Amino acid sequence: MLATIIQNLINALQWGSFYALIALGYTLVYGVLTLINFAHGDIFMVGAYIAFFVATFFLTTAELPGWAALALTIPLTMILTSMVGVALERVAYRPLRRKGANRLYVVITALMCGLILENANLALLGASRKAFPPMITEHVYNIGGVIFTDLKIAVIVTTILAFFVLHKIVTKTRVGMAMRAISYDKFAVPLMGIPMDNIIVITFVLGSGMAGLAGIMFAMSYPILEPYMGALIGWKAFIAAVVGGIGDIRGAFLGGFLLGAVEILVVAFFPSTFRDLIAFTVLLVILAFRPTGLFGVAKTTKI
Amino acid sequence: MLLSVENLEVKYGNIQPLHGISFHVNEGEIVTLIGANGAGKTTSLYSICRLAPPEAPRVIAGDIKFRGESILKTRPSDVVKKLKMALVPEGRHIFGNLTVMENLELATYSRERDADLKTEYQRIFDLFPRLHERRKQRSESLSGGEQQMLAVGRAMMTGCNFLLLDEPSMGLAPRLKYDLFRTLKKLNEEGMTILLVEQNAHLALHLAHRGYVLDTGKLAAAGSSKDLLGNPDVKKAYLGG
Repeated sequence: MLATIIQNLINALQWGSFYALIALGYTLVYGVLTLINFAHGDIFMVGAYIAFFVATFFLTTAELPGWAALALTIPLTMILTSMVGVALERVAYRPLRRKGANRLYVVITALMCGLILENANLALLGASRKAFPPMITEHVYNIGGVIFTDLKIAVIVTTILAFFVLHKIVTKTRVGMAMRAISYDKFAVPLMGIPMDNIIVITFVLGSGMAGLAGIMFAMSYPILEPYMGALIGWKAFIAAVVGGIGDIRGAFLGGFLLGAVEILVVAFFPSTFRDLIAFTVLLVILAFRPTGLFGVAKTTKI
Repeated sequence: MLLSVENLEVKYGNIQPLHGISFHVNEGEIVTLIGANGAGKTTSLYSICRLAPPEAPRVIAGDIKFRGESILKTRPSDVVKKLKMALVPEGRHIFGNLTVMENLELATYSRERDADLKTEYQRIFDLFPRLHERRKQRSESLSGGEQQMLAVGRAMMTGCNFLLLDEPSMGLAPRLKYDLFRTLKKLNEEGMTILLVEQNAHLALHLAHRGYVLDTGKLAAAGSSKDLLGNPDVKKAYLGG
């Protein structure tokens, strides 16, 4: 019995890690720009593909040993994925902001950006799936009936560490303070001598970097890549961020794990085809009771 | 001349709130812009601070010069960082989700890390002891008067030597109003240049060295505070007879 609980807990944490990391990006951008960046799920997909190319390069062209390839792939993928996020901000969102466009148009633009990323991928790389190259050999452990791999534990630990780093940045640094300030009162931020666009760029760097990290770890855990892999997981992570209280990074993080846990629990007791149906019903009920999410305090604090 | 606004005409969309106004501020002065609602006082301040769209009025004619050089291409954050001008906006606009201390710290964003900030925080707390008592509180829990003190303190922490204030007395109890104006006088005596926009013309003219009277985007009168206080037209229109 205890073994089953621990087994499900590990599975839930690992599965929730991906939602949590992606939800952080949604919530950061929303906090600063009140923009729901619907392209974010596809940035995660791009992150996984970037990881694929970077890892393949290090393993086959550079012929590095697996651990060295992994050590280089993680930061490089995060940096490159950040650049994709920043490029999107520059090309698509900033011009609209300059013109003071209505939020509806910005959201539509975000949706289109996501579709463009998916279809550009399809056009450039074709519809065939890519198999992610193994960089490390996974080891399976069995402790008292609980079966887990070292990769699973690494995913969970990395996600928690990434969250603590992000949390430190948002709460303790001047940049983080500026991000929180923007979420409260955009007007007064430049009056403090703070270049707003720089803060927005940093926000996209942080959010997309997290999506890039999720991309690598997802590709290592489920090594089949296809252009639409970011769509559903992106939507789910967005819902996780809303359930947690969008605009608050603690909410996004916990919301991600909550969604992971609900999904794993459903599968533990019901046929797996029931998974999304029951998971979303539970989230709907949570929102009915707390429309601002677990951490959301309507309109007073974001991020 | 520290700041000069020359025949400035600006537009928000199709509305033109300024029809060619000119005024200037010398170093070390307190200058006030007075006039009724819609006279163009706030628009003048926003133009000077180069606020970004959509808040920013679009300049269609005229110029704004700082020490003789046009600042129409200056970024809003550089108005603070390089020109050392800071605006205390109408309605305070403090960051309610940050603590009092964080509000003050954030204002030092563009400054050198090795600046002697400790003495400066101390100076703010000497001027406004209430802020020191409440430094760890979320600033939205402050009273209106305390929020105004924070807005002024925050502007000072940007390291500015030119303070622009938009209706700082609005919503303050009479005692707090006089306290605030006494503080502004003290700051000015210590070398701070001040451009003050006020509806309370009496109070403003008693503090300022010079004043400009704005009327629907045009200059209606200008002169020393003493002259304006004695001017029968100004008296009738803005000082309640």
